[in-house]
Amino acid sequence: MATITLSVNGRAHGPLAVREDLTMNDFLREVLGMTGTKFGCGAAQCLSCAIIVDHPDGTSATMPTCIVPATAFDGRKVRTVEGHAKDGRLTTLQQSFVAHFAFQCGYCTPGFLNEGQVLLERLERAPIPRADLERVISEALDGHLCRCSGYVKYHEAVRDVVLAEPGRYLA
Amino acid sequence: MSGPCASRSWSGTLFLAGSVAGLLAAAGIAFAADSGTLAPPEAFAAITDPAQRSVAYFNELSKVLTHPRCTNCHPATSRPRQGDGARPHQPPVFRGEDGFGTASMRCGSCHGAANFDPAGVPGHALWHLAPAEMAWEGKTQAQICAQISDPERNGRRSLADLVAHIGDDSLVGWAWAPGGNRTPAPGSQKQAKALVEAWVATGAVCPK
Amino acid sequence: MARLNPLGATTFEARETFPGSPAAAQAGGRIDAFAKVTGAKLYASDLRAADMEGWPADTAHALLLRTADATHLFTGLDLSALDAAARPARVVTAEDLAKGGIRVPPFYAGDLLCPAGTTPLYLGQPLALLLFQSFDAYDRARVVLRKASPARFGAETGPVKQPNYAALRFTRVAGAAPGDPDVYSPLLEGWISPGFFEAGGRPVWIPLPTAEGGEYKKGATHGEQIRADIASAGPSTLVLDRSFRTQSVDPMFLEPEGGLAWFDADAKALQLVLGVQSPLEASEALDHLLGAAAPALRPSRIESHFAYLGGGFGGRDHTPFPLYLALAAMFLPGRPVRLAQDRFQQFQGGIKRHAFEIRSQIAVDRPSGMIQAFAADHVLDGGGLANYSASVAVVSATSAIGIYDVPKVDVTTVAEHTRAVTAGSMRGYGVLQTNVALETLVDEAAEALGLDAVAFRRRNLLKAGALTMTGNPWTVSVRTPEILDKLERHAIWRDRAAARAGAAAGTLVGTGLAVCAKDYGTGADCSLGRVEVDPTGRVRIVCDVVEMGNGVGTAVAERVARFLGRRADEVSLARIDAFDALGLVTSADPYTLTQAEQDAAARNPRWVPAVSSATSASIGAHVGTQAAAEAARIVLRFGLWPAALALWNIRQDDPRRFLWERAFWQDGMLILSGLPPLAQEKVAAQAHAMGALTGAMAHAFSRWAWAQAAFPLEGFEWAADIDALAVRRGGGRFQALDRSFVAFPPANYNRIGTSFTSSCGTLVRVTIDRTTGAIRIARAYSVLECGEALVPEVVRGQAQGGFAMGVGFALLENLPPFEDGPGNGRWNLGDYLVARASDLPVHALEVEVLPPVAPNEPPKGMAEVVMIPVVPAILNAIHDATGHRVRALPVLPEDLRRVL
Repeated sequence: MATITLSVNGRAHGPLAVREDLTMNDFLREVLGMTGTKFGCGAAQCLSCAIIVDHPDGTSATMPTCIVPATAFDGRKVRTVEGHAKDGRLTTLQQSFVAHFAFQCGYCTPGFLNEGQVLLERLERAPIPRADLERVISEALDGHLCRCSGYVKYHEAVRDVVLAEPGRYLA
Repeated sequence: MSGPCASRSWSGTLFLAGSVAGLLAAAGIAFAADSGTLAPPEAFAAITDPAQRSVAYFNELSKVLTHPRCTNCHPATSRPRQGDGARPHQPPVFRGEDGFGTASMRCGSCHGAANFDPAGVPGHALWHLAPAEMAWEGKTQAQICAQISDPERNGRRSLADLVAHIGDDSLVGWAWAPGGNRTPAPGSQKQAKALVEAWVATGAVCPK
Repeated sequence: MARLNPLGATTFEARETFPGSPAAAQAGGRIDAFAKVTGAKLYASDLRAADMEGWPADTAHALLLRTADATHLFTGLDLSALDAAARPARVVTAEDLAKGGIRVPPFYAGDLLCPAGTTPLYLGQPLALLLFQSFDAYDRARVVLRKASPARFGAETGPVKQPNYAALRFTRVAGAAPGDPDVYSPLLEGWISPGFFEAGGRPVWIPLPTAEGGEYKKGATHGEQIRADIASAGPSTLVLDRSFRTQSVDPMFLEPEGGLAWFDADAKALQLVLGVQSPLEASEALDHLLGAAAPALRPSRIESHFAYLGGGFGGRDHTPFPLYLALAAMFLPGRPVRLAQDRFQQFQGGIKRHAFEIRSQIAVDRPSGMIQAFAADHVLDGGGLANYSASVAVVSATSAIGIYDVPKVDVTTVAEHTRAVTAGSMRGYGVLQTNVALETLVDEAAEALGLDAVAFRRRNLLKAGALTMTGNPWTVSVRTPEILDKLERHAIWRDRAAARAGAAAGTLVGTGLAVCAKDYGTGADCSLGRVEVDPTGRVRIVCDVVEMGNGVGTAVAERVARFLGRRADEVSLARIDAFDALGLVTSADPYTLTQAEQDAAARNPRWVPAVSSATSASIGAHVGTQAAAEAARIVLRFGLWPAALALWNIRQDDPRRFLWERAFWQDGMLILSGLPPLAQEKVAAQAHAMGALTGAMAHAFSRWAWAQAAFPLEGFEWAADIDALAVRRGGGRFQALDRSFVAFPPANYNRIGTSFTSSCGTLVRVTIDRTTGAIRIARAYSVLECGEALVPEVVRGQAQGGFAMGVGFALLENLPPFEDGPGNGRWNLGDYLVARASDLPVHALEVEVLPPVAPNEPPKGMAEVVMIPVVPAILNAIHDATGHRVRALPVLPEDLRRVL
């Protein structure tokens, strides 16, 4: 057993004793009861399980949870799909997903939302030229599998958030 | 001895891999039938010509260098491979500027400090891809040898650096303890080191 | 491990009702959009005991062990690798099921668990259920068991032999001149099956000189004559004889099957949370499973809750998964148990698509370019259990000539048992396989005749009113001519020669097109819908249809809003428990019912041919929304409209009181020209105050036409495309109305292959790397028609998703049969590739939806057809680029490398 302490969506958890073998996915879903983070393949090949890790340097990245032990998140701050909206108010990206009918069954949505959000925050720190936008979105989202949508509306939803505020995201 | 000089001096003494194998057979040296093992340098003592012996050391070492545990992360393209079948890595990940992945897909996002066997995921603190110029996938032993002997294509490593990279680097060492259902590289890292050392000591001659 | 801070249990029905909250309603989009984008618990795999109101707090966990060997005797399990901390509390084997009186529902015939001492019936057949008291024990055990199977095997027996699942022949000989009656057709003579089989199980298709099987002999004699004519055709006839192979694939819905069940031993009640496309079927299967069990294993009540699905694509229609979940709960009484497959297990045990071997022969008159005759033979790998194999075989045969009018057709089809993982229903089944064989063959024929690919197709199109190969016409709009026009005029097609010539160095460029008409509906499709308005105007909808991503909840809310002036505040789906007031009864299999049986049964005003359907076969928009829409129409006509008349002070003798169809809703106001607009809330309050009709629930049934009935309402006879109705007045209870008239579609409509089709055409431009053989889709265009698109964004999304799935089928996805296939338990998404965005022309895919032929054209199903022409269009483009005709799927880069 190991002991972990972490912050999920701004809420502190721990210290908690967990087995070294416990995946972060099972920690979230079975221990915390937070099932917004999905289990799709258990092999980090669909990334429906990806969450956001906020690094101390102010940057953020997504990480899959299905193949990573919970212990790897000790001391970390993470965000999950449940943490985006505040007081029932959707974020701009969430609202864009909704308005574009980006998802259908919705099972991959938490992963796409987290990846899209990390991308937006990255572009905010390091804006890119307009001409690179489609390519950068494609690179960022390509790890995520969706079986329903053909991806078009997800890409459009992210792109339109950027284009709505070019001064914020584009160089 | 500086790298570039060495590379020039070796180019004069190249042997055909096939002829070396024939020599070994003639000398009564039996290759380890099991591809999972490495013959020690002593096994090649019967080859009296140091250059030919050097080639023999390298050929034996090549069992490691051409093993999927090594070639998967020394790929021909910017995308690594995975598994004993060396399929393209899923999800698609790429080398990126620093060898540690692209901005959105960093190697360390999935690959932790150590193997995580419950999920069958390999890990190491410095999990990353070899640089493009060090691509081995699909290359012959001779090509790999020429490549790792060439500082322009081996990460500016001297021969001593090569001994350390293959013999002591802990990420390279992962290849012998890959976890999951992955076949380890043949022999042990220590045995591989002995072969590199022997190869260097005999002039680091490349097969042709 | 006990769970921390459960977020609070709530009733399942409240949890799954959307939009549900004002914030969610305000967000707009799909009715389930807010829930899905905020990570709400709504899938069966999300729920644990602690989330369920009235359930014990802790969840036990089950693991279903499956076999990777179907050629040796199964001798038992060796669980000694599990230490004390990983040991199951209970191991359930075939012996336990036999002792407990567990029955296998007929649809799933075959041992639920392989008995020790027998050879498993198929790869992936379950061997045992392991039940663990805690998540920890389960988690430890699964890691150990994943590394080394505990199943032990003895002597080699070879695979278990079983008879085929279906063998049928469809033959049609048209009359001599256009318009003449058919000489022979399945509609005239019935469907036929050969009565004789070779030792290996293959049907003997030729008519044998025996007295038996007279019906078969007649059809087969016509069929053999067609084949003889093709074989002896002269030089003025082009004959092509080709083979085509399609592979097995996995639906790969993203949420692996999972569920939760609890047998409350005190109350003898079994409760389940399931995610299936077929709620009524699952409920009936569970009743059968446990209905004759030993007292300790027989619940007195089974209550199933049906959740939103993380994808379905047919793979959760009639899945055996719920049976195992129920067994897990029954064998661990008192404990809520979760059974959830990981992806390896989903590959190993989930329903697959049938692999096909297809032989096609086509005869075309060279001078006229008209197809004279077509013959085909289909062999389907049905895998281990029958499941939907017979239906897939039928659909493949009856779709064999696609969108074309061919006077002589003869198609045999046989679905075989093999030791492969069970194949069943999957998006586009039957047509996907035959359309790719046909549309590539048609392209080849056009080329051989020197005709343009579009011109040849147009010349041979089946026109509205003409007969399909089962001898019936399509009874819906036929828009293939427009689809062909659209394809022909599109820039991708027009510029194909220039694109081919302008290929960059080292690449080949090609362009291909294909067209498909796909059946929607199954010939016995039902809809249950219930609509209520409360005194504040809030609208609540309850339907039996299942939401699996298809947007059907949003579609039904859209249809209802047109009548009730407001998008529903609450939509509750997958409900088969909310229609008791209709008092429905049913009898035999609706597909085999005789006319006499139907006529007799229909005298009971509560009788319907079937009660509830699976959400499948693209019936969501057309059928799934029907009952709720008709119920809403009734609530408007007999509830809100009378209330509005009262508010407008329009009296009984005022002719305006019949103008309800001229009134319309705009921004929540009911408007009739010349009168003050009325707020919806005010109208609803008035309806309640008057005791007018404020709720209706209806049942609808379609057998290639709606059942129609009339009901006495407020002194009128209300006739509609429904066959059962109950209404509520004010805040009262629902009461069923006896129908005063009913007309069910004739029983012989069951001989129709399909009469409902929608069509789609696809154009693709591919670029092929000469060195690597890698294929890129540079641009693509899909044009489809679906009558009225209820939610246009959902239709476009389905078309984009269908395109992606088509690309996967053509270029990526492949499950080999047998020991190297998914039944070995080692398959996951690293080896099984589904299309990623980087495999698709995400920014160069154009989707066009044709407007309906008329403003009142009903919605047509489109969720399957959109993936089908993508596949042959890609293959035709590959031919255009390389000159090579692909005859097996998927097409991999190495295949092209070999021919380049």
